[in-house]
Amino acid sequence: MSHTVLVCDDAIFMRTMVGDILTQAGFEVIGEAETGVQAVEKYQQLRPDLVTMDIVMPDMGGIDAVREICKLDPNAKVLMCSAMGQQALVVEAIQAGAKDFVVKPFQPSRVLEAVQRVLA
Amino acid sequence: MNTLEYAELFLSESREHVTAVNQALLELERDAEGPRAGACVDEIFRAVHTIKGMAATMGYAVVTELSHELETVLDRARRRELTIDSTVIDILLRAADSLERLVELAVAGREGELDIASLVADLRSLRPMVETAEWSISGLAAANASGGLAVRVRLASDAPLRSVRAMLILKAVGKIAEITSTLPSAADLEADRFDGVLTIQCTGDAPRAEIERVVRAAGDVTTVEFLDATTPAPQPSAPIIERVEPAPVMDEGGVRVAAGRGRHVRIDVRRLDKLMNLAGELIVARGRLLQLASDAGDHALEETVRLSSRLITELRDEITASRMVPVSNVFDRFPRVVRDAARALGKRVDFSIEGRDIELDRSMLDDIADSIVHLLRNAVDHGIEMPEQRVAAGKPAIGNLVLSATRDRSAIVIRVTDDGRGIDRDRVLARAKRDGIIDASKSDLSEDELLRLLARPGFSTAEQVTEVSGRGVGVDAVYTRVRALGGAMNIRSVPGQGATMSIRLPLTLAVVRSLLARVSDEMYAIPLAHVNETIELTPDIVRTVKGKEVVLARDEVLPLIRLRRLVGLPHYAPASAIDLEQVVIIDVGDRRAGLVIDELTGQEEIVVKQFDAVRDGPPFFGGATLLGDGRPCLIVDVSSLL
Repeated sequence: MSHTVLVCDDAIFMRTMVGDILTQAGFEVIGEAETGVQAVEKYQQLRPDLVTMDIVMPDMGGIDAVREICKLDPNAKVLMCSAMGQQALVVEAIQAGAKDFVVKPFQPSRVLEAVQRVLA
Repeated sequence: MNTLEYAELFLSESREHVTAVNQALLELERDAEGPRAGACVDEIFRAVHTIKGMAATMGYAVVTELSHELETVLDRARRRELTIDSTVIDILLRAADSLERLVELAVAGREGELDIASLVADLRSLRPMVETAEWSISGLAAANASGGLAVRVRLASDAPLRSVRAMLILKAVGKIAEITSTLPSAADLEADRFDGVLTIQCTGDAPRAEIERVVRAAGDVTTVEFLDATTPAPQPSAPIIERVEPAPVMDEGGVRVAAGRGRHVRIDVRRLDKLMNLAGELIVARGRLLQLASDAGDHALEETVRLSSRLITELRDEITASRMVPVSNVFDRFPRVVRDAARALGKRVDFSIEGRDIELDRSMLDDIADSIVHLLRNAVDHGIEMPEQRVAAGKPAIGNLVLSATRDRSAIVIRVTDDGRGIDRDRVLARAKRDGIIDASKSDLSEDELLRLLARPGFSTAEQVTEVSGRGVGVDAVYTRVRALGGAMNIRSVPGQGATMSIRLPLTLAVVRSLLARVSDEMYAIPLAHVNETIELTPDIVRTVKGKEVVLARDEVLPLIRLRRLVGLPHYAPASAIDLEQVVIIDVGDRRAGLVIDELTGQEEIVVKQFDAVRDGPPFFGGATLLGDGRPCLIVDVSSLL
């Protein structure tokens, strides 16, 4: 059975891209979220195997969303998606409970490697 | 890029940084409160930080450790938590010394040979007692002894946000073992002060394989090494740089671009040597081409050849210029040398350098550096008096020592001048008489004779052997070296007022001014630096002593060497009775001889081409050259004749 994924990003472009990469690799994207609040709600509702989480989102940022999700599910597997130069935020996200990170611009191979690590 | 080139780059850059550290430390020592003090500390900090980064990347654990300790102290000074006093300066200078040596040792794979434990202890005494995240080799040993483990992890160089990756690794390791410390510290990682090599000390029962597994699982890891207390330094065969190619042969000169260094390229000096040789050949070919073109009588051809001829000359000049570096590259190390010598002897010396921007051939500058150190130490040790003696003699208590470089036509003159007691001619004279070197009736010494005596191996008038200038090694070693470089040396000394040692060096090694000598119909070049004078070989000056031919030249009896005989040519057959052979008086240091040739045909700047001597062939030729007319010409290696 393929793994299920929740893709969280405020940009459709990024959601589509991440979705494509994961779908082509055999994952099943079962939900998308545009804000942190949505991300937490959808997580509770869908209980995906994996969450990809943008850091900067309106209405609760990615880091707070990670914190909330990990409160709901200490074993939640969240992969942070960061832009260059967001080192401090990535650190914070990891302290909040994120399992790994990828840096934009995304290279499919790197995204998939990170996903494998998170799910391992 | 391969490991060797990285190491060379590491070495040359680290040397520069150590020099910068020393300079800034000396400036700081002169004025720790002044307006430049802050900038000095910053500069030292940056230099040490850079060395640390490079060393960690190369896997040089001891260099990394020492620079880390040094950096910690400097960071405190930067934040004004540490007052710079003479104790601090002393410790920092010692640290700079050790760092300098360690850098060399590390590249040779022998950094374990220098024990820095007491130095590290001193450095640590300069910082507050409460410390987090301690890290050291001795710490590693302790961790090992107590069943702990030290793991060194290298991250892929292209991995994004490597410091965050390192934190993930720490997190993963932290789940199965207790981390006692890390390098860089967690704080450094958070601040992104990380160069891709993470060292973790941990304790616990987790087997190595399990630790390695979780480290690798964290991603972007290229190597995982477990450091043992017995082998703190990485094995030479260990992968020092990711994806290295097999070690290359030494003689492959490469061109390297130093990252972040503006518009400069580092070029292996061997490559410049090759370029210089090629330019030399071009010049010879040009000569023949010019001749042919003019013979052909084709105007257009002649014009074109003339144009390329000018270009070739320009090319040669540019290549010569590219080998030149400012003497400050080497001279800037010397203030430290002088300071240490003066301190060790309890003397006070004001040292200055003049002509730092004067340029000299890179290889020559490297070759002469040790000799200058000798002269400087000699001046401090034997020249400049103790402060109280100076005051008693009516001089300022602080001695004056000047190192200067000046350009003089096609030569560079380097002078070491002190205002000390001067060379004691009477003592040199007495010593020379006692040793039977000069006639007992002689009452005075010219400066030439003085130099010749001082340049004798082992001849020294120093009353005691001192730590600073050692036993009698000095002038003779310098003299030999200078001559070997095709240079000349001079001494001027005024009793009670000081002495000046001058070294005169050709601008570049690749071109040598030579006397051209003909023997039969063959041409030989004799480097002018070794030519004392030439005289005619009249029968009355030749004697035979114990079956060997000697020549009488200016009341001296010198061995006679017939080049003809050496190269296996038949006996000299003069065209007429007045057609005499010539004797070239050659010398190296104080060894002299007369070299007999048929005729001197002139002087020429020749481009030395090293050649592979024929096995078992005559050893007395040091290279070959092509003369302007295209004829080959062997270069006499004077030192092997004597």
